[in-house]
Amino acid sequence: MSASNFQIEIPETVLARARRGDNAAFETIYRAFERPAYTLALRMSGDRDDACEIVHDAMLRVLQRIAQFRGESPFWGWVRQIVANEALMRMRRNGGRVFESIDAESVELHSNDLRVEPPSTSIWPDARGLDHALNALPSLTRSVLWLYHVEGYTHPEIAEMTGKTVSFSKSQVARGTARLRTLLDPLKEAASCLMTTPP
Amino acid sequence: MPDDDTTMNFDSKRSLGAALRALPTSAPPRDLWPGLARALNPPRRRARMLLPMSFAAAVLLALLWSLPIEHRVSPSATPSAAVVSTSNVSAPMTDSPADRELDRLRARSQMIERWLQATSAQAPHDGRDLMAAAEVEDMVGLVDVQLSATRNDSDALPLWRQRVALLEDLSAIRAAPAALNLGDANRGLASAAATL
Repeated sequence: MSASNFQIEIPETVLARARRGDNAAFETIYRAFERPAYTLALRMSGDRDDACEIVHDAMLRVLQRIAQFRGESPFWGWVRQIVANEALMRMRRNGGRVFESIDAESVELHSNDLRVEPPSTSIWPDARGLDHALNALPSLTRSVLWLYHVEGYTHPEIAEMTGKTVSFSKSQVARGTARLRTLLDPLKEAASCLMTTPP
Repeated sequence: MPDDDTTMNFDSKRSLGAALRALPTSAPPRDLWPGLARALNPPRRRARMLLPMSFAAAVLLALLWSLPIEHRVSPSATPSAAVVSTSNVSAPMTDSPADRELDRLRARSQMIERWLQATSAQAPHDGRDLMAAAEVEDMVGLVDVQLSATRNDSDALPLWRQRVALLEDLSAIRAAPAALNLGDANRGLASAAATL
């Protein structure tokens, strides 16, 4: 698996300067994480303005509280956690439909479907199509999918972050993947509907 | 590394993950640094705010002075100051249950704050704890603003209850890393709780 975009090593000297309140060090840190933070915020929120606010608020917290970072875990992991939490917090505040509703039967059906007929790798190659399909997902479903596949969080970690269960995280990954498949391969989906339609 | 997911075929998982990771990263549509730099620059902000804040303080003081002293509840921007000044200015209290509860809440609030100050070195450094602590601190600030606007004890009582509950939440967040790192700090919390 390739590394998360957040995996950027900030020199200890820069961190030390930032702890002393050095503005140039603050800017160095912000510039280093600007793109990964914005990408994560945009993928989770699905809205450019919201993503800007998430990055602003999260980076402000990071820089204001940098003295409290003890270096027991990687700095980039700390930054990423704060950005993800800020996005989830905003999502909770905004409310609305944020995840794919799941019923046990559909998860089971879908799980069987994936096991029997795995999608070919050719389903995912078009970046623009995938981008559009991703944006069509409810925000929490998209966030879970992104945190799991791209940022490498485990289901228990996602469950803790979202305040939901491990099963919920797994279901959202399964459900989100199914939705992406449908959105990216509508012809195949339509064909399967025609085949199952009774005469 | 994501853990095993039995609901997905490995190939599909790998290919979707690879496709998502291959999507290009995005940059903010505008430079966010100037706004961040302004928010991070307290001296300039303090200087800019000095005059309006002094004016606001003067108005507040004048308002307080005009209130009947029997019902005065000290409004203060800082929680500790609120506790101290209340005891200084408070008029002879009727010894009603509400008054006793108010006294008890103020004392408890003061006690927890002392503990929080004493353990500030063990402030949370984990991202989640940090966010939670920041949220609770913001909420305490909000309650303090409301407290500063109260005109009598009956208005203040529910706010003091809320304040103490929030401080207890904050001490619980603070106590978790302290318990892991410093047994002494945890014992301090226990003894503080026992004395409250």
